[in-house]
Amino acid sequence: SELDYFSPKEYIIGGTTVSGTQYLDKEVLITLSKLNKGDRIVLPGEATANAIKNLWAQGLFDDVQLNIDRITGDSVFFDIAVVERPRLSSIELKGLRKSERTAISEKLNESGKIINDNLYNTTRRTITNYLLEKGFFFTKVEFKTRKDSAQDNSQILEAWVDKGNRVKVHEIVFTGNKDFSSAKLKKYLKKTKQQAFYKVFGSGKFSKEKYQEDKLKMIAKMHAKGYRDAEILKDSVYKYNDKSVGIKIDLHEGPKYYFGNITFVGNAKYPTKFLQQVLAIKKGEVFSEEKLEKKLNNDPNNGDINSLYTDDGYLTFNAEPVQTKVYGDTVDLEIRLVEGQQFTNNRIILKGNTITNDRVVMRQIRTKPGEKFKKNDLIRTVREIDALGNFDEAKTSPLPKPNPADGTVDIEYTVEEKPSDQIELSGGFGAGRIIGTLGLTFNNFSLRNLFNINAYKPLPKGDGQKLSIRGQTNGKFYQSYSFSFSEPWLGGDKPVSFGISGFTSLSNYSYGLNTSADAQQRIRLNGITVSIGKVLNWPDNFFQITHALNLQQFILNNYPGYKFSTGTSYNLNLQEVLSRDSRDSPIFPKSGSYLRFTLQLTPPYSLMNKVNYATASDKERYKFSEYHKWKFEAQWFQRVVGNLVIKAQAQFGFLGQYNSAVGQSPFERFKLGGDGMMGFDFLQGSEIIAMRGYANNAVIPLGANVAQAQQSGSPIFNKYVLELRYPVIDTEQAKAFIVAFAEGGNTWDRFRDFNPFNVRRSAGVGAKIFLPIFGLLGIDYGYGFDKIPGISAANNYGRQGFTFSIAQQLGGF
Amino acid sequence: CKSRFEKIRLSNNLTKKYQEAMRLYGKRDYSKALILFEELSQKYRGISGAETLNYHYAYTLYHLKDYTTARYQFKFFADTYPSSQYAEECRYMSAFCYYQDSPNATLDQENTYKAIDALQLFINLYPKSERVAQASKLISDLRGKLEDKAYANAKMYLDMGDYDIRNYKSAVVAFKNAQRDYPDIKYAEEMDFLIIKAQYLYAKNSLENRQEERYTEAIGFYNDFVEAHKDSKYLKDAEQLKKASEEGIESAKKYLAAIAEDQAKYKAFLEKTKKPDTVFNNTILKKSN
Repeated sequence: SELDYFSPKEYIIGGTTVSGTQYLDKEVLITLSKLNKGDRIVLPGEATANAIKNLWAQGLFDDVQLNIDRITGDSVFFDIAVVERPRLSSIELKGLRKSERTAISEKLNESGKIINDNLYNTTRRTITNYLLEKGFFFTKVEFKTRKDSAQDNSQILEAWVDKGNRVKVHEIVFTGNKDFSSAKLKKYLKKTKQQAFYKVFGSGKFSKEKYQEDKLKMIAKMHAKGYRDAEILKDSVYKYNDKSVGIKIDLHEGPKYYFGNITFVGNAKYPTKFLQQVLAIKKGEVFSEEKLEKKLNNDPNNGDINSLYTDDGYLTFNAEPVQTKVYGDTVDLEIRLVEGQQFTNNRIILKGNTITNDRVVMRQIRTKPGEKFKKNDLIRTVREIDALGNFDEAKTSPLPKPNPADGTVDIEYTVEEKPSDQIELSGGFGAGRIIGTLGLTFNNFSLRNLFNINAYKPLPKGDGQKLSIRGQTNGKFYQSYSFSFSEPWLGGDKPVSFGISGFTSLSNYSYGLNTSADAQQRIRLNGITVSIGKVLNWPDNFFQITHALNLQQFILNNYPGYKFSTGTSYNLNLQEVLSRDSRDSPIFPKSGSYLRFTLQLTPPYSLMNKVNYATASDKERYKFSEYHKWKFEAQWFQRVVGNLVIKAQAQFGFLGQYNSAVGQSPFERFKLGGDGMMGFDFLQGSEIIAMRGYANNAVIPLGANVAQAQQSGSPIFNKYVLELRYPVIDTEQAKAFIVAFAEGGNTWDRFRDFNPFNVRRSAGVGAKIFLPIFGLLGIDYGYGFDKIPGISAANNYGRQGFTFSIAQQLGGF
Repeated sequence: CKSRFEKIRLSNNLTKKYQEAMRLYGKRDYSKALILFEELSQKYRGISGAETLNYHYAYTLYHLKDYTTARYQFKFFADTYPSSQYAEECRYMSAFCYYQDSPNATLDQENTYKAIDALQLFINLYPKSERVAQASKLISDLRGKLEDKAYANAKMYLDMGDYDIRNYKSAVVAFKNAQRDYPDIKYAEEMDFLIIKAQYLYAKNSLENRQEERYTEAIGFYNDFVEAHKDSKYLKDAEQLKKASEEGIESAKKYLAAIAEDQAKYKAFLEKTKKPDTVFNNTILKKSN
């Protein structure tokens, strides 16, 4: 009345009053409204609207009104009229199980709000939606409030929930289907299943959300089979009784279609004939959008049209299939290409590395400034960033940002750090005593910050180096300490890895009362290894070569089971490893292969010294171990169907001698059988090869000295594994596989006896689980088909059903 | 028997709690004060005393080095009480918390960008504040950090050129981008020199038939360098690179001429004897890079 909306006028605030408050402080409300006495204000204007907005934002009122009390001359007097409501101190859920209460409470964060109808509605919706997801269709919620004696003007809201019955699917009825049987269609509804007496788990619980997804999937499946007109005409979910619903789906199936002529337009770079070859869809094939989409845009194994272009800089390439003609059951296609321009990489940006230094990630990135853009480089880069092990694999994402004006593209890689350190703390029981183990692995260590106090958070991190330390002891009788350090980029400029590791261990047994030093059975081992590895660019960049120099010292005193029992032996050897690793994941690969060839050589001492080995004492004979050792391993992974993966593996090892007078080395032999865990065995410098279905070290050569072959191992072995793997859990936090396997392997004493097909066999099932902090844990049950000659019936002829394994990512020992 | 603190914490007497929180704050026992402040800040909404309480709550978080929450609380304060005597201080502290959260140049700089924005906003809001000088200094610190990062990431390609020569080409592009992104970067002169160096090494390690073009580009970069930095300490080294480039062009030309001569001779020989070309097959000059 007094205000003219077409000519705002300036006033001075003469005063503001507040009415309707019960517990709140009026002065504070005036401050919040920002309508302070003496301020200048334009009416009508923004300030009054803001005052109301600010007060509402407090969430304290059921109603807020701003009134002009009076206007005197230039002065305006306001009155703020509020309606206070009781505040909510907490919500109590009644009639629910604890797990349900916890889950729902997490979604309800209303503390401090006022209690009104809106609160009732949102709370009811949250509860019913949650329960609907769990299959409860007929939830009823009622509210009561009671005063909270602990706080002024506060009330506790009680929500009384009646869940009713969980709903199952009693029946699914299809109509309109001819070529697809109802049974088949029911199969396509992956997560909506009809209840049946034989289904013990998850028998037909109904979830609305999953049902919606299933419908889309079912239609997609029908389209993929050539029924491109298939659609759901009508569907309904009806109440069957208090415990179950029925589903009725009315389908239009349509005819089955086939591909007709496929032509390309817009292609300047490649001739149509060539593109047709890549597309590899023949006239007369069953029409499938899915297949067309795959061959156009995403077929990493056999190539697709999209990567033909996007691997050659055509980042904005686009192919759109247009159905030009449909005659009878045949569909002609015209594929319209927009080739666009060739892009060059410009800025490479890394985001999200809050612990790991830029350089560690940037040096792995294959899309480099000034190079032509290649989609394949992008994909390979993501894989290599993930292989660093410091980032959450699911969250590594590349984002190309093209700039068509100058034909360049900036590529932004976003990563998310994950904890990558491992700790192993265990107590075990062995040799009648408790053995304690403490192991630490840091996968993102920074050596150069070792003496920089500020970098300790809680350890110097971020340079992608790996440090492991491990100690194991049962007190006086057995002690073992080891460490290893590796730097993947020596000097930081080249992908040359450097590693150094060392260990020392002591085993000590004393029998009876005689504990004098001479009578003790003792073995001490010391060792150090230095290695350098290099990624090769030829024949392809999956190859890697590693050179290593190892020095080991064995000091024996009255130690049984060896070819000599007292003395010192040295093992100095050079090891060359050539490997090729194209597995798609280090833990549970689904495709790719792994090949490794190893040659290990000691100097041929016997050709250089003047020892007469025919008459030499054991001490002299074994002082310097001499041997040459050859190993080969191949692993191959392939997806069979869905997530089912087949793994095939072959291994071969041979330990040879330079000089027959010296004889075969007592060290570096192979022990086949069992869980493959090192345990105490590394003491004897032998290599442990797992073979399920047999006991540790049990697979020994025919006619061998049983005790010696089990203790020291054998010079030749080979082994084959065929394994089917199926992932049960496949998340970032944990991965679990179940496996079925068949193995064959054997050992030999002499090369002339070696026969790769004469193997001991076993088969069985098992499960493996990977938890980032524990590493890979496995349990297997294997049945050994062959009795091992020489091993007694009491030891079940060397066979053993269950094997447990722990493969820590701790390198070395 | 409960401690005095526990008794107060569990009581319903807000005034007593408030007094205790302020007392603990005064004693710098921030972790205990925080427990009380957290609870009180919920309950004091719209009640007198809330302003002082929120001010101290924010500082408690700041002293406990929880910069992420502190920053939010300071901002909340400045937004809620714009006319408070502490509003300017809290706006500044909110930006300063971002500054504290800005990591080493070798890590993700998201917080650095946010700190710069927040400090700039402060300067825009309070252009006459005595904190403006300090805020400007902080901004320049942060910009320096971004420059360090751009320099280091470009230099990485130069360092890695030895194992893959394409990295030299990347180094040139990366150095130029760093200069484009930070026009007054403190490394401008050094980077101009390193561009010559990277291009020279790229040319030197290329195949002979590509060398002339690439060396010429290096000489071009040298000319730009001399024009921009007349008294540079890198001038001598740059001159050497230019000289080496010129020599490189000469020797590449000679090498190509010698091959062409051999090829011509061989062709003549073939024509004379009418044998097919099995030696050169025109493959020698075909290669990537």
